[in-house]
Parts: sequence; structure tokens; C-alpha cells
Amino acid sequence: MLLVPRQLLRVGMTGDVPYYGGRFTPAQAYAASHPGPRPVTPAPSPGAHADQRLAALQHLLDSGVITPEEHRRFAARVAP
Amino acid sequence: MTPPVQVLVVGFEKPSLSGEILAELARLGDAGVVRLLDVLLVSRTEDGRLETLPAPPGADPDLGRLATAFLHGAEDDEHPIARGGTDPAAWSLDDAVPPGGSAAVAFIEHRWAEPFVSAVRRAGGRMLDETWLAPDDRDLLDRLAAGTGPGAATGPRG
Repeated sequence: MLLVPRQLLRVGMTGDVPYYGGRFTPAQAYAASHPGPRPVTPAPSPGAHADQRLAALQHLLDSGVITPEEHRRFAARVAP
Repeated sequence: MTPPVQVLVVGFEKPSLSGEILAELARLGDAGVVRLLDVLLVSRTEDGRLETLPAPPGADPDLGRLATAFLHGAEDDEHPIARGGTDPAAWSLDDAVPPGGSAAVAFIEHRWAEPFVSAVRRAGGRMLDETWLAPDDRDLLDRLAAGTGPGAATGPRG
């Protein structure tokens, strides 16, 4: 029969949701190792604004995706 | 409390379920270590659909029935993820079985762990992480335990 699998919550042995400490969760790691077809995105305009990129980097920093050191390094590339 | 239940998704090139695997689980069950609640064979088509497979010849014809009932039912699921929420700890068989692949999905109750988990909870402990060691790390641990690896002099001995 066709199986429509429902989503389950991944927990540890004690029933707690594992703490991933800012690392990839298993789902994110799977997605990273199984990339789907890339969506077609329009090329950035020649004048893509640095401040937009910096704002995006700030969002990544605030979200804990990148470290302050990574933020500093990436920001330097955008606005040397 | 009830013992923790682990879900193992074991991939195979062809849909199969080794009698040897079931026999070993039965042996552990007899020893009171684990209990195989159910096991289900599935395959995933190239276009991504998951299909259940019948129990192998000679196996209990009800094999897989419990697992199918448990896993199926995304449409009426009450879990917040199924209602459009997101949760980084969520997973489903769709994540585990690649297109064109087959797998055995086993639900294994770890009876041995019940008193351990109860003790952890009584002590206020919270599992921060759990994983299995890679073979190289397992070898290193063995060498350390045997006193032949780096730092062996200070390591615990068993």
C-alpha cells in the first residue's frame, strides 16, 4: 500500500528533544547532504546593495547561524 | 514509565529481511534485553512514493501491521508539524529512504534501558546528546581500554 509517513519527533533515550547546540540537526544535515534541484533564482543586479547583504549577515549572526568571527570575516568581503 | 523505543531504518539494495537479523532480535528478546515490537519493509519509487511491502515468506503475516498503522496517517495527524509547523527535530521515512531504495523499519523496545532512564530522570538529568562511535574511534577506545593507546596509563580500566 502507499504509505504517507507522518512526521515524528526525534528525541533521545530519555524522551527529551536533543540539544543541538547550534549544530545541524539530523534533518538539516540530511538536507545538506541530499541537495535537491536548485531553484532558478535571478542573478543579482549589478548594484546589489551591500547594506542588504550586511543586514542578511546580521540576521544570520543574530540567529546563531554564524559566529561573530564568521560575521566579521564575511562582512569584510561585502564591504571591505 | 515504559521502556524507550528506537526506530531503526536499515537500507537494502533489494527488499529483504534476513532471517538471521530476526533470529538475533528474538534471542535478545528472550534475554529480556530488547523486544521487537514490529518491523516493516518499505520501498521508495524513483518518483518518491513510499510503498509498504508484504512480509517475507515464512514470516508472521501480521508483520508490519503495527508499524504501518503507526507510521501512516499524515492527513489526520495531530502533530504540530503536520499542521504546518516546523520543528528541527522532526523526521519521517521520507527523509530516511532514498528514491529507488528499500528499507526495513524496525521498532525496538529497549527493556534494559528502562531502569537507567528512570534513574536519570529521578536525578534531574537531561540527555544532551547521544550517538554511536565511528569504527576508528571505537578502535581507539579499545586500545585505551587495553592500555595500548595514547593516554592509556590514565584511562579507566574495565
